[in-house]
Amino acid sequence: MRLRRQVWLIAAAMMFLAGARPPAPLRAQEPGLASRTASYRIDATLDAAARTITGTAVITWRNPGAMPAYSLRLHLYWNAWRNTDSTWLSQRKLGGITGSMLDRREEDFGWQQLTELALANPDGSPGLDLMPTFRYIQPDDQNAADRSLAAADLPMAVAPGQSVQLRVAWKAQVPRTFSRTGAIGNYFFIAHWFPKLGVFEADGWNARQFFANTEFYADFGSYDVQLRVPRGWVVGATGREVSRTDTNGDLTIHRYAQDDVHDFAWTTSPDYEEYTERFEHERLPAVTMRLLLQPEHRGQQDRHFAATAAALKYYGEWYGPYPYPQITIVDPAWQSGAGGMEYPTLFTAGSRWLAPRLSNQPESVTVHEAGHQFWYGMVANNEVTSAWMDEGFNTFSEERVQSVAFQPNYHVERFFGGFIPWQLRDIKRSRATDGNGLNGYRPSAERDVPATPSYRYWPGTHADITYSKTALWLHTLERHLGWDRLQPVMAAYFERFRFTHPVPDDFFAIVNEKSGQDLTWFFDQVHRSSNEFDYAAERLESVPVATRGFVESAPGAPLAFEAQENATLFRTTVVVRRLGEATFPVDVLVTFENGDQVRETWDGQARWQPFLYEKPAKAVSVQVDPDRVLLLDVHYTNNSITMKPQAERAADTWTLQWIVWLQDLMMNYAFFV
Amino acid sequence: MIAAFRDGLGRVRRATWLVVGLWLSTLLMAVPPALVLHGMIADHLGASLMADAAARGVNFDWWNEFLVQAAGVGQTFVPAIIGFAAVLDNASRIADQRALVPALAGIVGGQILLSVFLAGGVLDRLARDRRVGAHAFFSACGLWFFRFLRLGVVAGAIYWALFAWLHPWLFDTLYARWTHDTTVERTAFLVRLGLYAAFIAILCTVNLVFDYAKIRAVVEDRRSMIGALRASVRFVVRHPAKALALYLLNMLAYLLVVGVYALAAPGASAPLAAFAVGQVYIVLRVAVRLQFAASQTALFQGKLAHAGYVARPVPTWPDSPAAEAVAR
Repeated sequence: MRLRRQVWLIAAAMMFLAGARPPAPLRAQEPGLASRTASYRIDATLDAAARTITGTAVITWRNPGAMPAYSLRLHLYWNAWRNTDSTWLSQRKLGGITGSMLDRREEDFGWQQLTELALANPDGSPGLDLMPTFRYIQPDDQNAADRSLAAADLPMAVAPGQSVQLRVAWKAQVPRTFSRTGAIGNYFFIAHWFPKLGVFEADGWNARQFFANTEFYADFGSYDVQLRVPRGWVVGATGREVSRTDTNGDLTIHRYAQDDVHDFAWTTSPDYEEYTERFEHERLPAVTMRLLLQPEHRGQQDRHFAATAAALKYYGEWYGPYPYPQITIVDPAWQSGAGGMEYPTLFTAGSRWLAPRLSNQPESVTVHEAGHQFWYGMVANNEVTSAWMDEGFNTFSEERVQSVAFQPNYHVERFFGGFIPWQLRDIKRSRATDGNGLNGYRPSAERDVPATPSYRYWPGTHADITYSKTALWLHTLERHLGWDRLQPVMAAYFERFRFTHPVPDDFFAIVNEKSGQDLTWFFDQVHRSSNEFDYAAERLESVPVATRGFVESAPGAPLAFEAQENATLFRTTVVVRRLGEATFPVDVLVTFENGDQVRETWDGQARWQPFLYEKPAKAVSVQVDPDRVLLLDVHYTNNSITMKPQAERAADTWTLQWIVWLQDLMMNYAFFV
Repeated sequence: MIAAFRDGLGRVRRATWLVVGLWLSTLLMAVPPALVLHGMIADHLGASLMADAAARGVNFDWWNEFLVQAAGVGQTFVPAIIGFAAVLDNASRIADQRALVPALAGIVGGQILLSVFLAGGVLDRLARDRRVGAHAFFSACGLWFFRFLRLGVVAGAIYWALFAWLHPWLFDTLYARWTHDTTVERTAFLVRLGLYAAFIAILCTVNLVFDYAKIRAVVEDRRSMIGALRASVRFVVRHPAKALALYLLNMLAYLLVVGVYALAAPGASAPLAAFAVGQVYIVLRVAVRLQFAASQTALFQGKLAHAGYVARPVPTWPDSPAAEAVAR
């Protein structure tokens, strides 16, 4: 037995080393933008009627780490929707989601089964079978029912810098869309759909199960993908189409390729209308924008293109150029749940049938997802542990674009099942508060410490921390430093870390380095703590300067009782207070009746701080943080006091409006009497 | 039917104080919760400078901050109260069966009870089509209140069944089933529109029957509300086209009022104008509601078999309005 085992190992080693030679190149390998660590050559067939995908892939993986790899980690993301006991669906339940997602029909669930895992021979044919050691693992929550992550042992370690070729085959049931992926009717959006390697880092594999509120993490590489779909159906995918061939049957093979990306997604439907426009800019590379539009949104194509072009322009100018020659915008089908999601060089940007102009749909989601080509696509942080680095940076950036490119942006309310929009021209959405999501953040401020791995955030409020808190603190930083100082910081971060996997400390270090300030105190507050910011003006009073009591009229003179009052000089007392646990330096602005203003700078550390003035005029108001630098302050209403309060007038105004609403409501119900 | 509609218009026009009274009743019912909301807003703004912007128009930042901490009536102070959005919000609330906050359920319940109380007097006044004086009006209200309360129990049970059973079946079960695989929003909207139409048609049919039940009860001085209801069904069955056409015509009048308000409703930047125009809209809504009652009463009275065959009686209250009707 021992001899046979040794023979087997020798044979395996020989095959392994053969496989470790550089794979037969799909195309001439040019120097890349990224280190091509994990490259995939995939051949997949969609059976649209049965809603299945069968595929094979040859994966070329180079160990980028400093230690040998003895095993593999493979993500099988679609098993997150295999049953309701998966970690993904369990987390959804934890977050309070009930109903349609859990009560699905049999055909609406999805799964993914590996049918082959082997070392690949140089020609791509199967070599040593790795299936005997294939197993599902649950390193994050020990949920035995979860099959979103698997491992397999390698017969020999892959040394640092050495490469290995793997061959995988799988079949999958396309679910009704979960998490933007799946099918509904003739609409298929296929993402995180192939067995995908984890990321091998200095201390080993970084691969986690699929969680409901976090996304992905993968190495850059080259993708060469053949997709067999029903003939006549439109296909959109990561990269560019390099060939299209009809088979003898009723399928067409679409071949897409793209270098220097870390994922590949695609979509197909017979219903798409296709439009193309070109983005051109004097200092940025030209980009072909391809839009796959739902027919019912015909007429909105200019809005999608304008928003995508705005993202390419402003992100390009502020951070760095978009380097790929094309970008594909997918307008997802209604009810697909694919409203907005990013993949390399392709993204979904959902719209509505009735989408009033000068409101933020589809512009907001389009800018956001196009913007992810920068924060996620190129600066590819780990979205499972530091989702805020892409989602938060991108929300901040998207809202900045919106504020310069798409104004005014009016609030829209929707009625009658959400189908009928009504634009409220009285309400202009502001970038600082509405866009950054202060309203969502306010009640969730203390729910999680952002430094916590994102997959451990409370599912019900993760977005408020990931998206909103980050956007709010970045905007706070912008106001604190000034855009002219923050923009170079962001550009340097982008330049230094594009096509890599930065971690939070990389960003913090570059901010400190480029801003010339040690802002660790700030990151301690906003990133390493869940403390709330809340500054308040507690007291404002102005009274004539008066002294009453015993005074010495001259040095050495006996004490004499005096009661003096100076009617032309007023003593103003201001008390400001820190109600929250978090601290930030704030200005305090005191305004006097004669128009004088005094601006104090308070370090914001103490629980309260008095300011005293003696002036020939009474104070009329005090404002803490008058320029609203600290956008994380959850209660800005308490930041000011005025001697001429308008609360009653405001209450009159709004109560009158509300009365009409209530009368109409009562009339509706009374109609049935 | 046109004649009944025109007759109804005339009766409402001649019952100006009824319009004014009912409008005032909605206003007065709204005042107590409005005062509560007023207090909440004023307390939250306090001496803050944020009030300046809130007094001039929308201060959305403050508004959102207010809503996060608001309870009770304060939770209803949402952007949808502005201008015509209020009408859409309220109509959508019924169509989509969105729950009322408990704090307002009491107010709406009170308004419904008040409407039940006033219904007898209103119908009596419209049926007689002459001034009756406050004493007679409220006496009629009192006379019919408990009868209509009994009728209201039946009506309430039917409406409850419609909203508790039919609505979820239509919009949660049927709509979900029919649109499960729909990928075109417009198609789904058309399905929903069809279901709205079906639900509203059923709702209006029930409403129509109860309208005539009340009319027959008052005009014929009926004591049995079950009898009135059966009589109403008989009337609607015998005159389906006219009853339905008249109802639709009145509904068109309502939609006209709503349409005009959609065009005329000022925004939040002109609060006094918004209130004034809003009150004109409410007055017109009251008038249209009375037009429903008046024109339906006219239609019914015009169908009384013995009308015109007896001598005109002396119109003395509390004789049945039927006695006056047969005299014409």
